[in-house]
Amino acid sequence: MFHLSQMDQIFLKSLADVVRTSRTTSQYDKLTFTTQTIADIKNEIQSRQESVRYQALLKLFFLAMEGNNIRWAEFQIINLMGCADFQLKLGAQLAAHLVIDSQSQGLIMVTNVFQKEFKNGHVECSATLSCLGTIANKDLSDSLLTHVLKLTTNTKPLIRKKAIAVLSKIFTINPLNIPGNLEMVIQQLQKESNISVLACGISLFCSVMKVAPKLYPLFLSIVYDQISKQKSNWLLIKLVRISNKLISLEPRFQGKLIEHYTRLLNQTNSKSLQYELVYSIMKYFKNHSQLYESAGDILKQFLNHQDPNLRCLGLECLTHISSSAGLMEFQEQILESFKKSDYFSKLQILQLFKDFTNQQNFQTVIEFFLKYSDLESNHKIIESLIFIIMKDKFINVDDPEKLLLVYIPVIAQKIDTIDNAIRFKELLFELLTRVPGLKVYSDQLCNQILQTYAIQSDTLQGPTLNIVQRHTQLKYSLNHREIIFKSLIMIVGESVKLLKLDALTNIIKFLEQLNILNCYESSLSDIDSLLFKIYIQIIKTDPSNDIIPQIEQLIKNIYNKLHNISIVKISFFYESFILNKTKEQLQQLYNLYAEDLPPINLEAQKLIKPPEGLDITQSFQIDIEEIEKIKNSNNDQLEQKPIIQQLEQADLVSKEQEDQNTQILKQEENEEELKPLNTKTDPIPKKVFTINRDEELPPGVNQNDINQSKEEE
Amino acid sequence: MVLLFILLQNRQGKTRLSKWYVYYDDAEKVKLQNEVHRLIVCRDTKHTNFLEFRNYKIIYKRYAGLFFALCVDVSDNELTMLELIHLYVEVLDKYFGNVCELDIVFNFNKAYSIIDEMIVGGEIIETSKQVIINAVKNIELLD
Repeated sequence: MFHLSQMDQIFLKSLADVVRTSRTTSQYDKLTFTTQTIADIKNEIQSRQESVRYQALLKLFFLAMEGNNIRWAEFQIINLMGCADFQLKLGAQLAAHLVIDSQSQGLIMVTNVFQKEFKNGHVECSATLSCLGTIANKDLSDSLLTHVLKLTTNTKPLIRKKAIAVLSKIFTINPLNIPGNLEMVIQQLQKESNISVLACGISLFCSVMKVAPKLYPLFLSIVYDQISKQKSNWLLIKLVRISNKLISLEPRFQGKLIEHYTRLLNQTNSKSLQYELVYSIMKYFKNHSQLYESAGDILKQFLNHQDPNLRCLGLECLTHISSSAGLMEFQEQILESFKKSDYFSKLQILQLFKDFTNQQNFQTVIEFFLKYSDLESNHKIIESLIFIIMKDKFINVDDPEKLLLVYIPVIAQKIDTIDNAIRFKELLFELLTRVPGLKVYSDQLCNQILQTYAIQSDTLQGPTLNIVQRHTQLKYSLNHREIIFKSLIMIVGESVKLLKLDALTNIIKFLEQLNILNCYESSLSDIDSLLFKIYIQIIKTDPSNDIIPQIEQLIKNIYNKLHNISIVKISFFYESFILNKTKEQLQQLYNLYAEDLPPINLEAQKLIKPPEGLDITQSFQIDIEEIEKIKNSNNDQLEQKPIIQQLEQADLVSKEQEDQNTQILKQEENEEELKPLNTKTDPIPKKVFTINRDEELPPGVNQNDINQSKEEE
Repeated sequence: MVLLFILLQNRQGKTRLSKWYVYYDDAEKVKLQNEVHRLIVCRDTKHTNFLEFRNYKIIYKRYAGLFFALCVDVSDNELTMLELIHLYVEVLDKYFGNVCELDIVFNFNKAYSIIDEMIVGGEIIETSKQVIINAVKNIELLD
């Protein structure tokens, strides 16, 4: 400790000087300035003059707020906390939380300092209690508990309320301190008249209930007593909050509160108290219709309010309405507030509708969200809509046809992320699997979606999904539209057998005039496959082959466009059948695809061991000598070939006649299916499609087959 | 209603006042301050004054160039916290007389004293402006 000379004192920097210098110093000189200031503070803090030490303490505090480490000053600060000068003491107590934590070695000294301070005047005691509330840890709270308990009976309300606030921290840190001490505090609070002290007491009860909820019976009477007579909004909010916890533990308490809640709800204008009451009523008082209705009216005001905070809180309350019928009542207000809400509130609303959409409001919800999606929330809206549609195997969907032809194209148009594109793909596959008959619309759906993509071709860029093909190691990237394009092409390919000749030719004409095929480089094999399937189907459905030349020309045009891309693979289909087609090849192709492929054989799923004598390591390059041997041995078979061919032709003719009959029957069935949809006179179309919500089976497999195989095993 | 921390930051992200009621080490405190500032500064006036932050909630309000932010539990009443912020600003205004950021920069110890008269151990202990100012003036008399 030293005494500064008069000369030194003249040049002493005050807090204001340090602050000004800090603000005007450039970033590069800051380190020098800080180092110099800390060196000065280390000197000044040991001075005998209290004014000098006080200034040093404030400067230290300031440097800590600037982000400098002042933990080296821990002992000095603790020392100052116990000095005689109140100004120094206060400064040190304010700065204590910057240097003292639960691992500090100086905490032992702090105990003694605090014990001394609690015996001083009420102002010093109050400052000490504030400091203790910030730095309290287990050891400190255990050693000072008795002193703090004594202070709860102080004559000054300032000391009593701070002591109770510190007690709530002590009980939270070490719940073993609660038994025996809590009852004493409750007895004092029952006689208390000061609102601030009572409010601190209620906070103490909340803290105790977090760590020891079984002690709730101790609080019931005092909480009920206060809730029936208090008028301070701050205290009432705390009382309502603790009542929520008490109701969850003691449901009979709910009945006692109805009258008071009704009174408070009708009388108060405070939005924070109204919110607390409405929240509580929505959660716990659903069976009390009158109170629930009053709360509902206030909730509607919140949802319609101009203040976004109140709208957000209104939505928060709605999460406690567990039934969709309850939510329907507020649907209009919620949708109105969606238009004005920020991103987070929109997410809240979307979550609400994810949980509570049903068949009755499904169309309203879908149409609204598709209309009011914006750039920021679009991906979340689409994600939520897909979730709502697919929820519980399309339980909300009563008109799958409208969903497919009206809503799904709009959703496809709005998708701008890969995740949503993948979800959309799953939605399409799931819908078309579960609703038999919808596949007849696959060509319309494909046309609609791809037409909009063609118009919006500038927006083809976006995030991409990078894929590496396993067998070729080719790397390519798909954007969200290409993912949807691939799925549409696949669906049309699968539905080709259900489509009429006109629809098939329209698809090819559409693909021929579509200018965006060149953008989907990675989907060339899918396009190839689709064209092949359509071509085969046209051959089957057009026995006179009238339109085949036209179709072949259109396909050639498509491939010519695709061949302009340098990385395109040469299509076997195009080379073999379109360019170098022979009649025999066509006939072979027709024969190959004349019948449906058989379903998957369950037995084939088992492991097949390689045959004995087969050396897997040996190369199986074709040996010409072996081929000649096989040829010679097959001469007999070759002689009998024409006879076999004649027999086969006779079979073919009879089969053709049968096929024609079945085709006619199919066409008639399709027409009947489409009739109700094609007639425009009926304003309320009858339900044509039913959704299969049974367990999923692989295509072509019957439940009976599975049961049989299980029995055999 | 337990507060975890209080932050007063300007638009540049400089913290003018920070009070921590839960233990965080120094590095964590700096990280929290940066994160909170980043979340708050880009929000529009159309946005709500509360947002989710880790497992808690930040309630903030902007007064001129200063952001007052409180971190509370998810279940706490947001409107009460907004009221608390407003009460604190009113007390500062009454105490300093037309308060501005510089008053808090040069008299941060007074600002901390006022907070200590309103909040102890993370709990709100006083909501009357007059009582708070009287308590602060009593402290000044002993200085």
